[in-house]
This record gives sequence, C-alpha cells and structure tokens, in this order.
Amino acid sequence: MGQKLIKNDLLGEQYYEIDHKSGLKIFVMEKPDYSGAFAMFGTKYGSVDTCFRIKGESDYVSVPEGIAHFLEHKLFESEELDAFQRFNETGANANAFTSFDRTCYIFQCSDNFDKNLEILLDFVKHPYFTQETVEKEQGIIGQEIRMYQDNPDWQVLFNLLRGVYHSNPVRIDIAGTIESIAEINAELLYSCYNTFYNLSNMALAVAGNVTKDEVLAIADRILKEEEPVYFEQIVPEEDATVKQDYIEEDLGVDIKKFALGFKETLNDILPTPEHTLSVRLALDIIAGKISPLYSRLMEEGLINTSFGKEYFTGRGFSCSIFTGESNEPEKVREAIIGEIEKIKAEGISDEDFSVCLKKLYGAHIFSYNDVDDLAGNLIDAYFNGQGLFDIDEVYKEITKADVEKVIAESFSKDNCCLSVIK
Amino acid sequence: MNIKKLCSGVKLCYHKTEQFKTSVISLDIITPLDSKASHKALLVHLLARTNKDNPTLTAMNRKLASLYGAVITPGISQVGESQILSLTLVCIDERFALDKEAVLSDGIRLLLDCLFAPDVTPEGFKEENIIREKRLLCEKIDSLNDDKIRYAYRRMIAEMCCDESYGISELGEKDEINALTGKELFDVWKQLLLFSQIQINITGNFDDALIEDAIIPRFEALERKQADITEVHTEFITESYDSKTVTEKQKVQQGKLVIGFRAGMTYDMDNFAAIKVMTAIFGSGTFSKLFMNVREKLSLCYYCSARFINSKGIIAVQSGVETENIEKALEAIRHELDEVRMGNFTDEDIKAAKLSLKDTYKSVSDSVMTINSWFTSQCMSGEFLTPEDYIALIENVSREEIIVAANMVTEDTVFILESEKEEA
Repeated sequence: MGQKLIKNDLLGEQYYEIDHKSGLKIFVMEKPDYSGAFAMFGTKYGSVDTCFRIKGESDYVSVPEGIAHFLEHKLFESEELDAFQRFNETGANANAFTSFDRTCYIFQCSDNFDKNLEILLDFVKHPYFTQETVEKEQGIIGQEIRMYQDNPDWQVLFNLLRGVYHSNPVRIDIAGTIESIAEINAELLYSCYNTFYNLSNMALAVAGNVTKDEVLAIADRILKEEEPVYFEQIVPEEDATVKQDYIEEDLGVDIKKFALGFKETLNDILPTPEHTLSVRLALDIIAGKISPLYSRLMEEGLINTSFGKEYFTGRGFSCSIFTGESNEPEKVREAIIGEIEKIKAEGISDEDFSVCLKKLYGAHIFSYNDVDDLAGNLIDAYFNGQGLFDIDEVYKEITKADVEKVIAESFSKDNCCLSVIK
Repeated sequence: MNIKKLCSGVKLCYHKTEQFKTSVISLDIITPLDSKASHKALLVHLLARTNKDNPTLTAMNRKLASLYGAVITPGISQVGESQILSLTLVCIDERFALDKEAVLSDGIRLLLDCLFAPDVTPEGFKEENIIREKRLLCEKIDSLNDDKIRYAYRRMIAEMCCDESYGISELGEKDEINALTGKELFDVWKQLLLFSQIQINITGNFDDALIEDAIIPRFEALERKQADITEVHTEFITESYDSKTVTEKQKVQQGKLVIGFRAGMTYDMDNFAAIKVMTAIFGSGTFSKLFMNVREKLSLCYYCSARFINSKGIIAVQSGVETENIEKALEAIRHELDEVRMGNFTDEDIKAAKLSLKDTYKSVSDSVMTINSWFTSQCMSGEFLTPEDYIALIENVSREEIIVAANMVTEDTVFILESEKEEA
C-alpha cells in the first residue's frame, strides 16, 4: 500500500494520496481547525457512459439514457435498512449526484465520522435492486425530470449541448427521459454496477477534522480487495463542427435565457491544466467584468448580472460557454464574436493579462476554504488525471501568448451555437 | 463569535480566525419592510455597483480584480418584517497575496466608500446609473419569477400575508422601481445612514486596529442619536381560523404545491426549539414523514419538505407534483401532520431530528460564509445566540413538547400552480 504526502508551501496545505490494498485510490486532507469533515466516494461513471462491455465479453451493452443517475438513486436502498435510515442514526447530511462523467456519494458531518464513513463505503459497495423498487423509483425520478423541464437555466444548457454535439452522449439528459427510464430494470442496473463500480475505477476523498489513520482503519475494515475490472466503451465519432448554430425553445419566460457555446476538439480525452487555465483566462479577457465588452453590453442593456461564462469540459467533451439573460440574444452573440475577432487581430494587453491572472488566482485561493470544496477538488483533479496542486505551477508559467493561441484556435465564429429559451 | 455596540444603532459582530483563506465583511442595514421597499432595493444595488472614486463599471471591476478578484455584492433579504440591505465584501486573506498587498484594508475602504461616498451630485444619484440599475433589478425580478419553485413560494406568502408587511416583496415592485428618481433615492440613502439600525459583520483574519481605525470612525462621524434609530417589529399571527386555497394556471410541466401554516408563536423565539424539532420530524430531512411517506412510499414527488421561518412564526411545505396528483399530495401532507399531532412518531425519529439539527448548527463554524449569514440571522433577535446556544435548546425538547407544538399549528393558505393543458 503506497502512501505519499503532497505539500503546497505557498498555500500551507497538504494531503495524503494512498493506493489502498483494496484497489481504491484514497485522498485525505487533515484540517484539524475545522469542526467537521466531508467525504466523497466517486466513480468515473456518468451519463455519457452508454455503450460498453467488460473486456473479454463478446457483446457490447447499450443502456437506456439516464441509467447512471437511476443507479445512483437505487444504491441508497438495501435489503435491510436503507442508507438514509442508517445516516439518520448519526446526524450526517448525506447525498449523491450524477454528472456527465462521474457519480459521487457524499456526506458532511460534525460528529460520528467513523460510523458515517463506514456507512458510505458499505452502502455503495452493496447494491440491492429488485423490480419492485425499480418501479417505485421511476415515479420519483419522473418528477425530478419534470422539475428540470420547468427550469429554464437547465434547459438552455441542455438544448445548447444538443445543438453543439451530433452524437457525443454528452447531448443526452443526465436523468434521461420518462420513456428511457421506463426501460430500466434490475438486470441492467447490475450490469452497469459490475462494470463501473469496481474500486479500480473509483476514488475516495476526505477533508476535515479527521486523520489519515482514522480513514485507513475504516477502509481496511470495510473494503475487500478487488481484482480490477477492465472495460471497453464505444464512443461515437464526433464531427468537429457544431450540429446547428441556433436552437430555441418556448417556455413562456419573462426574460429570455441564452447560452452561447464554442465547440473545441481536443487531441486528448481531457484538457491539460495549462489548456484549462488558458481557456479560463481567455473567457475573462473576452467578456469578463473588466473587459470593455462587458461594460458595453451592460450599458446597452443587452446583458444583466446573471451573465457568466464557464469552460465546460469532462471526459470526451470540451466547450466554452457564455450564459445569461437578454431580450436580444442574437445581438449578444454578434458582440461576443466581434470582440473575439478584435482580440485575434490586436492581441491582448499586458495589463489585461496580469489583472485577469490575479483575479483567477484569487478565485483559486477561495476554493481552499470549505471542506466540501476541498474533497470535491481532490476527486476532480484525480478524475482529470492531475494532482490537486498541479494547477499552482501553471499559474507561475502561463503567458499571454498561451491565451492568444487558445483564442485563435478554440473560439471560431463558424463553430458556435446559440441556445435560447423564450 | 463576538458582538459589541459601536455607536447609536450600530453593532459589530466579529469572528477572528485564521481557519479560512478569505475574509468576509458585510454591512447590514436593517429597515422595516414597508412602502419604501422598492426604493431601498434599488438603492442597495446603486451603492454596490460604483462609487465616487470608481464611477464606472469598468473602474470598479478593475479595482476589485486587482484585489485578487475581490467581490462586493448587493443583497436584499427578509428576516421577519424587516428588509435587510447588505453590502458584502469577500476577499482573500493577505497571507496569500503574492506581493503582500494590503488586500483587506483596501477592500474595506472600497466597501465603506460604497456606503458613504456614492457617485452623487447635489441633485441626487446620476441618471445613467439609475437607468442601468432599474433595468437590472426589474430583470432580476423577471428572472426570479421564471423560477417556478420560488415563484409558487412567493405567491403563497403574498396570499397568506396580504394584510401584513411580510407579504411585501423585499425586491420591490417593477412599476414602483421604474418611477423612482435620483433625488428620492438620495433622500432615502441619507435617512438610512442616520436612522437605520446597522450591523457590521466581519469573519476572517484581521487586526483590531483595522476595525478601530478604518471602520469605527466612519460610523461615528455620522453623529447618530439613539432616539432617532428606527426599531423594526414583526407582527405575529398565532392562529388561522380557516384555510384558503388559491389556484393559478401556467405553462409548466409539473404542478407546484405550497402550504402555509401558522406556528402559534408570539415572538421569534417563542417555543422555538419544540417547533424546530417538530418541523424536522414532519418534513425536514430524509428521516422526516414527508420524505419517507409522500416521496418514498407514495412515489408522488421528488421533493416534499417543510421549512420553519421562526422570524415570522410560519411553517411552509413545498412540493412539485403532477397536476392530477396535487389533491392526493395535499391529503397525504395533511395526514402526516396529523400523525405528528397524534404523537405517532418514534423515539428514533426524535433522535434523528435532533442529531441532524445539531450537526447543521455545529457546521456553521466551518464556513466563512455561513458564519457571516449566522450574524445576519441574529440581527433581529433581542438576544444574540450562538449555534451552541441553539444546540442546547434543541437537546432539551421532549416528546410531549413536540406534540403540543404540532397541535398549535394551523393551516392558513394553500397555493397551487397547475399546468395549463395545451390547446389541441
């Protein structure tokens, strides 16, 4: 069982990275001045994993849309006490979430950490699905899907992904549809579970008022050694262009919502930390609060304080997205594209570059405050093939030229899609 | 957590710690929720966006970015029948500034300038700023109405409290906002500085000298008089004699159901702990009757939960349900409350509710933002209580007290948002 202590002197932070004998990767950040702790147990399995086979098996399994999320709900159940009932005896606040490329089970607690971690590791490792409980869940998740259908901020983003991608499964709803989840049965759930919930595909991160030894003692007790499961996936070929340049839906909103996405095709399945930071700087330089474009759009009444931007990326997809509310979203698109062309022609000023870098560095410092962010960031970094502190080195080395290159290559007026909810 | 009085009507709440990498400071102006709600809502946005030294958005945003992406945000909240206007600064701790810049003291000066030195002329706030902020606030109101969960909740409160100040929207009304002038806003600003209760909250790593030298003098210079300070009161209605139902149709996929109850309180801490534990057993958390039965057993919804608003003596239940199942859900929710009233819950339920509440209170100290919100939440209470004080109150609640609390609850208003059937 290998153990490493990884330090960051500038931030005064450190964490342990452990290769547990069970096959699980474990991260522990000891924070003795906090009163509580947060744990995240995650698998690299999300809504995009729709077609796969265990290595050596003959047939690929194509699973219904939304099954990863369905599985997340169902894992809380067991033959005896379900996981929520067990956490009720400790007072912890437990939950889970499914995203495009991962599923994570979490709890936050101030007391009874050992008992809580024991429950977390135990329930995720003990699936129990029957046809009856699957049917019950279809009603609950059906209402979750309905709830999101009424949420314009959610719809504008998923419509955008349907406009940007031709066949990449990131274009399907994480929770699936009422129809697709009706096809889910216990057998399919076991098939997904046995493929993706092997410890070699998972990680555990804990941050807070706990010690590494405490965490390991529980992992030693609960987790059995597992032979790794190797699987293969069919990922559909994706064209580099966007599927369509405009997509809209009528939800009868009082103010229109928009999302403008610039599609990017990477050579690797995930972006490097250098690339990620360059894109985030590019977004700030193009339309961040200090940019001339932002002030102009504000003064002209084309955007409001909801305006934002994100680098949307995960296993096999990558897109830069501007979001907001505007009664004239087409004009916002025009202005953003105009600004990009201007930066491509004139370059970035030294001052803009250094102010934006300072701002992002500040945001990076912010992310070291709360135990839930710390555990989440440890898992994020690992699932993205990085270490938590790798990005700190990039802050020192990144140059203006890196950002100009990204703007030249990843922000093309011919490769963007505008999604509007009206 | 510490609290001290600075000068007439100005309190300072602070928590000094090196636990976090950022500091948070908020200036809370505590005013009655009244006919000037729109004025005050617009004003706090004007104050936060620019000031005399940084008169444009770009100037202000560049200044903040140079302080490692510090942010100053306007906030409007409602605690009981008060409208709290907040200006909040979040910035990194100077220990992490690469060139040891004085981020916190510069940030605090900027924040105080927002309150004390806005970009005004003798005629009042400038027209161009007012036009922008009117638009932004009106669009914010539109946007919040597009969030149907929030919309349904607000509509229930407006119906339930139509004869109380609590029914006034803390964000103001669009037609009133659009009618405001720079001079009116200027007058409101002057009055707030002289007559409102103000609470300054600071959490993070700071020197006492910073408070003594940078903050206190600016408030003392106002020369406020204790007799002039506006007290804010909340009206408590203990009981509802009949329940009214209001139904609205909109183009939504899922219906929304919101039920408002009176909790039988006469002031914000009246029987607080028993009602808190009772509400938890009824509908807050995965151990609650609403989660276990309405969601898990009946499979009617994804969310169904109860929240207790002690500052107004109200309990609200919210759920998202298929329109055709709304009656069934309403019946199920009423049934679960009756179960609590009749004492049909176990000692394990009480234990789970208490454990969960204790855990939540204990975790307040683990986030710079939740500590700061805690200070704000206490601003209307006669006595400042810490999370530990709340834990002690919760521990002492008995089964009998929970049953008594549940029997004090009366249903007041049901608001239903139905999905409009598409015309064929």
